This record gives sequence, C-alpha cells and structure tokens, in this order.
Amino acid sequence: MCRMDQTDPGKPELASVPPPEDGGPDLNQLLRLVARGDKGAFEQVYDQLARPAYGVIRRVLRDPAQSEEVAQDVLLEVWRTASRFDPAMGSAATWVLTIAHRRAIDRVRAEAAAVGREQKAAWVGPAPLDEVADAVEASLDRERIQRCLGGLTQVQRESITLAYYGGYTYRQVAALVGVTLAAIKTRIRDGMIRMRDCLGVS
Amino acid sequence: MLLSRHDLHALTGAYALDALDTEAERERFSRHLRRCQSCAGEVRGLREVATALAFAAAAEPPAGLREQVIAAADRTRQLPPEVVRRRRMGIWWPAIPWRLWLPRLATVTAVVAVVAAVVLGITLSGTEQRLNTERAESQGVAAVLAAPDVRTVSGPVGTGGIATVVLSASKGELVVSTNGLAALPAGKVYQLWLIGPPAVRSAGLLPAAVAGRTEPVLASGLVVGDKLGLTVEPAGGTRQPTTTPILLLSLPAGT
Repeated sequence: MCRMDQTDPGKPELASVPPPEDGGPDLNQLLRLVARGDKGAFEQVYDQLARPAYGVIRRVLRDPAQSEEVAQDVLLEVWRTASRFDPAMGSAATWVLTIAHRRAIDRVRAEAAAVGREQKAAWVGPAPLDEVADAVEASLDRERIQRCLGGLTQVQRESITLAYYGGYTYRQVAALVGVTLAAIKTRIRDGMIRMRDCLGVS
Repeated sequence: MLLSRHDLHALTGAYALDALDTEAERERFSRHLRRCQSCAGEVRGLREVATALAFAAAAEPPAGLREQVIAAADRTRQLPPEVVRRRRMGIWWPAIPWRLWLPRLATVTAVVAVVAAVVLGITLSGTEQRLNTERAESQGVAAVLAAPDVRTVSGPVGTGGIATVVLSASKGELVVSTNGLAALPAGKVYQLWLIGPPAVRSAGLLPAAVAGRTEPVLASGLVVGDKLGLTVEPAGGTRQPTTTPILLLSLPAGT
C-alpha cells in the first residue's frame, strides 16, 4: 500500500520533501483537505508520511512498542490539528515530522529525568544509517543524505546525528563529543547549514 | 542563564534539531524567533534538513498501525482553525453579560495597565528590537483578553501572594500575573506548569517582580482538565517540577 505512493525511482531530484505524485494533490493541499475532515486525504497523508514519522520515532526511542504508540499519537495529532498547519512556516512534511521528532524527544527527556538515561546510554552512537528499511524513496534519500553527511567534518556529523537520531540536547552532545558549549552550538549550526546547501533546500 | 544575541543566533541549528537544553531555553528562543526574521528564515531552512534526516530514517510501521490510526481519527473531533480576531472594543464589550463586567474589568484593567507600563517603559528606555518583542508579546496577551470565551480565575499562593489567570479555552492560551509573591533567593525562579491528564508541561518562568507584581506571562497549549501549578525551581527552569507546587489552580474548561 505504502509503496504505491513512493517517489518515482527514476527521479534523481529527491530533496527533503517528496514531490507530489503523478499530478495528485501535494501534501500542503492534502493537509488543507484533512483540516476539513477529508478522510481520504488523511489516508494519503498517512501513506506519504507514516514511514518517515515512524522511522524517526523508532530511531530516537529504539523500543518498537513505544515507538508504535508514539507514532499513533503523532498521526492522530496530525488529523486533530491539521487546521493549525501554516504553510508559511514550512512544508507539510516538516510540520508532521517536527511533531513526530518532538514527541519522541519529549518521551526521551521525560524518561531521562526519571532514570538518568545519560548514564546508561553514554556509549550510544547513532544507529548506522543502513539499518533503515529498504524502500526506494528511503534509499534515494539515504544516499543523498549519506553523501551530504559525508561532506561534514566528523564533529559536525557526530553532533548532528547524536542530537537528531540520538535525541540528545546540545549540552549532552557537547559532553559526549568533548567540546565546549559554544563550540557545539556553532558546529551543529555550521553543519546544518552545510547540509542545507548540499541538499539544495531552499 | 543570560545569553547574548550572538549566542542565541548560534542556537538555530540546535533548535531545528529539537536539541535545546531546557524548556525555558526553547521558549526564550521561540520568542527570539518572533522578532528575528533572519533567524526564523534560517530555522525554516534547517528544519527542512531535519525533515530530510527523518526521511533517511524511514521505516515500515507495524502492520495494523494504519487501521488503528484511521479508526482513531474516526472517533476524534478536529480542532477548529485559529481565527485571528482583531476585534475592536466596541464589538467586544457588549457581548459580555453585565454581571461579568466588574471582576473582568478589574483584571483586564490590571493586566492592560501592566502591559502598558511595560511597553511605555521600553519605549522610553529600550532599543527598538526589545520594543518589538514586547509588542509581539502584548499582542499575544491582548488576543487572549479579546477572546470571546475569556475567563478569569485567581488563587492564593501557598507562600504568600496571589496569582491571577486570564484564559481562553478556545485558543488554549492563558495569561498569568501575580502580586505579592515572596521574594526568592538568588539562583531560584518561579516556574508555571500546566498539569493535566496528558502530561505536566512548563508554562514558562515568572519574570522578576516589579513593585510586587510580575509582568503577565503568556502561555499556550492549554487543554481541558489542566490545572495551573507554580513551583520554585533553579534559575533557568526545569523540564519537570522538582518541588511541591505552592499553587494548584483549577482552570475552567470553557464557556
């Protein structure tokens, strides 16, 4: 079902946001329909974004059962709050995936506060990117992201993946990587800007 | 912890990755974004990078999630769009029943007076940027005051003083001001919390009191069943309360 909605594999131009498929409505339009209670549009949004949403939650939380629970909450939140999506603030995919990542992070931080997760997980590096499922769009994106990540300095790359996939705060990342707070902020920002330029995000 | 403007700007990357250190820092940066267009533009671009990282991690969700989500959507009412109401007083006032005028008027007047004093003070002494922040914040406060379902509650704080909340359930926003709270030792701060069935969320830090009053604090994300809590926390605030609330105020659920 999901595969049907994936990007045309022949198309090399895969930036951060999947292009609309075969002339159908794009995600922004779909979300507007969802806000009006259009279930069919919601199913299409699900088919386009459930995999990255679940994937990023899973990457951060690791635990499959917990990830499923959070993913369900997030996707339901998309249905519930679709009217609050503002295209002026960013793409529809970014809106949904920001909610997904933030929910996962909230879960991690709530737990960290409870059990001192940093101590347990100090060794954790980002899961290797090739752990990811084998869908066509993911592999295209992955190649490109890998290439762009490869263009960063090691500290930049580590900092960004620890922060995003590891769910660490920049202060925790600074401690893990062993640089000062001022340095980590700059490295994350410089690395992200380099990624942006490499990915061709406008 | 006070950050210089340069330090703040350097946080765009960490912010886009949801990697800021405390809720207080996230709030402070969000406020900064409202007045720093170049930062907001940069964050928009960097968020798309984060989105790309999410796509790179795409994984097949468990079978059955789709059906669960669709079925749950069937049972879930959607939020109405946020309609920006720029009502004029002349339209707004007559809609309020007479019996509600007096208490409402008193609180609204107090809050407006504080906002006005703040804006005036900044106009006289501050830079234009600071003025813009305050303007954005006081617009947010004004929007709550002008909401058709605005309600007011107040309660005594355990350690002295009183907290007053003006809220709009439909907007999910509230404005908190206090009067006569006990002074705190250095390194401590009053932190507000929304305490509800889903979770305990920070609703921001109280600024330092001026002549016994704190400037109104605007918070959002209010949901039905939330109570307002107040605790004393280390400077900078915490993600979850670490001390017993000295105020626990039930908030009316709506009109």
